[in-house]
Amino acid sequence: MDPSIILSAIVLLSAVAVVALRNPIHSALNLVVAMLGLAGIYAMLGAHFLAAVQVILYAGAVVVLILFVLMLLNLKVEQASPRDLVIQGLAVVSGVSFLAVAIPSVAQRFGSFPSARDVFVAARGPEVEGTVKNIGALLYDEYLLPFEVASVLIMAALVGAVLLGKRRRDTAK
Amino acid sequence: MMTLGHYLTVATALFTIGAVGVLVRRNAIVMFMCIELMLNAVNLAFVALSKTVGNLDGQIVVFFVMVVAAAEAAVGLAIIISVFRARRSVDTSRTRELRL
Repeated sequence: MDPSIILSAIVLLSAVAVVALRNPIHSALNLVVAMLGLAGIYAMLGAHFLAAVQVILYAGAVVVLILFVLMLLNLKVEQASPRDLVIQGLAVVSGVSFLAVAIPSVAQRFGSFPSARDVFVAARGPEVEGTVKNIGALLYDEYLLPFEVASVLIMAALVGAVLLGKRRRDTAK
Repeated sequence: MMTLGHYLTVATALFTIGAVGVLVRRNAIVMFMCIELMLNAVNLAFVALSKTVGNLDGQIVVFFVMVVAAAEAAVGLAIIISVFRARRSVDTSRTRELRL
């Protein structure tokens, strides 16, 4: 069996577990599994740099941050109330019905594209691999401005997070 | 043989699972995790299409989506912590001040 199928099944099952489990710590741990499965899929698609960044950044920073916040807040397990069941049932039904329509059309439309480069006339030339060297060459050459803007964005997020996290000592609480 | 349709199907299913999760869950942090699932579904679609087209533009977009998601994680969790400090709960059904 193709490893992509196994990885895809792992990703989808753990995603359902993220949504369905009551304990938020269990949801976070299943999110880690989903991120790692996606990293494996990226590696199989030739995106080596992105697979590494997925592990380092998503599984290694974002979910760890989420787990820190969960352990800091020390929340109780979410209790279900009957008022929510209607909304939850409606959401699940609409999601399932959307998938029942979308998945056959997507699979049928794109299913016969093992390598559909001939469809896209703006292809750059021979197929390039997603190695660090190739991504770096593109990132510092053609996408230099978004790269610098992204660094400014990270700086703004850093300042914002620190500012929001500061305990206010001047107001009387 | 894995076709593009397979990866796009997984991305669609993952996005829908994340969207249903945002609607179903009340805990703000779990809602944030479902938003991360949706972002990852979009990343998967971009990477699969990048492999199909043959160049790396899709992977550059994924790189920037990851950067934005990390920045959003930092700020969003700081907001959640601030809300928790104010009212001792992250239950979104209890924060009703902005509702009509």
